[in-house]
Order: sequence, then C-alpha cells, then structure tokens
Amino acid sequence: MTNEQNEHMDEWALHAYADGELSPEQRAEVEALMARDPEAARKVADWKRQRELLRTAFDVVLDEPVPQQLAAALRGRAAPSRVTPWLAMAAAVLLLLFGGLGGWFLKGESAATTVVDLGRQALDAHTVYAVEVRHPVEVPGTDKDHLQAWLTKRVGTAFTVPDLTDQGYALLGGRLLSGDEGPAAMLMYEDKAGQRVSVVLAAPGTDTETALKVQEKGKLIACTWQDGKLSVAVAGDMARDPMMVLAKAVYDKLEG
Amino acid sequence: MDFRRQLSAEIPVLRRFARALTGDPALADDLVQDCLERAMLKSHIYDPSRPLRAWLFTMLRNLHISGLRRNGRTTVVKTVDDLVNGEGAVAPEQENRLAVGSVSEALNRLSPQHREVIVLVGLEEMSYRDVSEILGVPVGTIMSRLSRAREQMRQLLEDRGHTGLRRVK
Repeated sequence: MTNEQNEHMDEWALHAYADGELSPEQRAEVEALMARDPEAARKVADWKRQRELLRTAFDVVLDEPVPQQLAAALRGRAAPSRVTPWLAMAAAVLLLLFGGLGGWFLKGESAATTVVDLGRQALDAHTVYAVEVRHPVEVPGTDKDHLQAWLTKRVGTAFTVPDLTDQGYALLGGRLLSGDEGPAAMLMYEDKAGQRVSVVLAAPGTDTETALKVQEKGKLIACTWQDGKLSVAVAGDMARDPMMVLAKAVYDKLEG
Repeated sequence: MDFRRQLSAEIPVLRRFARALTGDPALADDLVQDCLERAMLKSHIYDPSRPLRAWLFTMLRNLHISGLRRNGRTTVVKTVDDLVNGEGAVAPEQENRLAVGSVSEALNRLSPQHREVIVLVGLEEMSYRDVSEILGVPVGTIMSRLSRAREQMRQLLEDRGHTGLRRVK
C-alpha cells in the first residue's frame, strides 16, 4: 500500500472511531494510533466538537411544541374508524381541492402537470372506449400474461396488471393509447352490473412521487398519482367515495 | 404501540433532521408533514423489522431532494475563500452569540451531499450502514463524503473562530 492509501485508511479508521462504529479491539488500535499521533487525536477531538455544535444548534427543535399542522397530519385516522389512513388522506386532498384552497397541493410540482394530463387522457379514453360493447379492448383479459408482457414492454416500465376481483371488477382486457409522454397502457374492468372502469398507466420519464389528484369531466371522475416511474390514472363513472376506495385498491395492487 | 403513535413519537426528531437538512424552519415543517402523510399512506409496506426512523429519514430526504430538483434550486456552494475574503471577520465579543448561527451557516455552505451525510452521522448519530441505506450509496462513499464534509466544516468553523484553534483577530 502506498503512503497515501495508508493515510486514507487511517483517516477512515479515525472517523469510524469517532462515530462508534468499531469493535473494542479496533478501538484499542485506534487509541494507540492517537497516542502516537497528536494530529490524529486533534482530528477526533475536532469532530467531537462539531457534533456538539450541531447538537447545540439543532437540539432546541426537540423541545419546541409540535406545530398543529403536523399533529393534524396524523389525527383522525385512529383505529376504530373503518376509514383507512389512505382514504382519510384522499378525503383531506378532496377537501383542499374542492374547498376553495384548490391548487395548494400543486405548489411547484411539475410532475403534477404530467399526472393531470394523464387524468385527462384517462377521462377521454374512458369516454370513447367504455361505451364499446363489442370492442372495448384490443387484447382480452383472458390472455392476461400476454397483455401484461405487451403493455409493460410498450410503456417501458414494469408493472403488474392489478387484480380487482376483490373490488368486484373483472379484467376485460387492455389496449395501447398514444399518450402525451409516449405509449400508455389502458386496462378496462367491468363489474357484474356492466359498470366499467379504466386504469391508465404511463411512464413519464421522471422518478418522483406526487400527491393524489382528482379530476372530473361530466359524470366521470379520475384519480391520478405518480409513484416512482409509473404514473397512474383510475377513471370511471362513479361517486368520489367509491372511486377513492377503488384507487386505493389499485395503488395497493401496483405497489405489490 | 400502534403505527400512528410510533410516528407521533418520531416527530421531534424528524423536525430536527429536516431543520438541519434545509436550514429553513417553514420548509422543514412542510417536509415533515409530507413525510408523515406519505408514511401513513405507505404504512402497509413498512417492514417493522427495520428501524422506523431510518425509513422515515429516507422518505423525508427523498422528498427534500425531489423538492430541490422540482424548484430547480441549485445550492450555491461557496468556498472557504469566499468566507474569509468576503465576510470573514467576526469581532471577538460576537463569537458566543454567533456560535450557533455559524454552525448553521457552515452547514449551508456545504454541498447537499456533504450536508446530508454530516447531518445524518454527526447530528442524528445514524450508523454508517443506516446512512448507506438512506442515501442509497455504498458505505465507502459515505465515508469519503463524511471525511470531506468534516474537513470543510472544520475550515469553515475555524475561520469563524469556534474551534479554539485559531481566533479571528
């Protein structure tokens, strides 16, 4: 080893010592080194001093009263209620969006634009295809493996076709849409009453997480978000509450 | 203890972490709020065998980074020379009052990468392994960043006369 590499190792050992990362034997070695080398001892003392300064500067935060908004972020989601945390958050978002504070969640989010665009596309596509009796999809749900492989490949980001059986929806199948950001996958589901919902997935080329957005178009409602590389829109003709439940189910299934 | 209570117990530490990470109390609390909401949203994927704090720090830090990217805010990294030449001289009687301010200010001068590593290790006392997971980089990288960050901090604080090694005249 060169001298320079040696110095590097020594330096790292000193940091590891100062941060309590070493075994007792290693500690003894470093202490021996510090006894021989005042410069090493000075460094360790200096880092200790930095730690004290940092704590002096920021430990005061620990004693500050917790701001209302933060306590509120956790409130109202206690166990007895059947409202899931996710649903409560969705409800909070809705209140914000429709309660005159609209746009608060959109502060500075460029990803939000993309997500809103996807929601609009989902609403448009649902309007066009959901009424198709015979050709609502290109690939039927009975060929799920092929459908998933094909759409995943075209969208460019892996995802699992969500199974919404528990929500009462059977997979009709899917098709490819031409989206603003490239190909988008549209999956269509149908319940026993023939009511259809669509899930549209796209990879906008960013890796981020957005809050939930809700858009309406006539009687249709779409719920959109981006989680990682995948942006998602769920669209259908239903009230907000069941849409939230459905969107939550889709979110969970995609999350795996 | 249920998940909500566990989260609640972490709020003070999350606020400290966010404050040190951003240097901006309002922005810090916005981040904590986003982080808590996200934690509630993702509670079902939290692995209880892993430390909750590290999981929360990971989310908060990622929210912070994506916020920085979104706003196109590039942190101006000033050098030690800027400090010395520009605004270096501090009168001795001001030293005590400035001790706290100057450590925040020194943090501000670090690049985001150096800043987060020194905050996680030096303030929050996370293990190298946890820090490696939180930042998604190998332990070796953590150590070299830490080493540089501490050296920069030393110089910045020294120029402000708070290390006891050199007094500003």
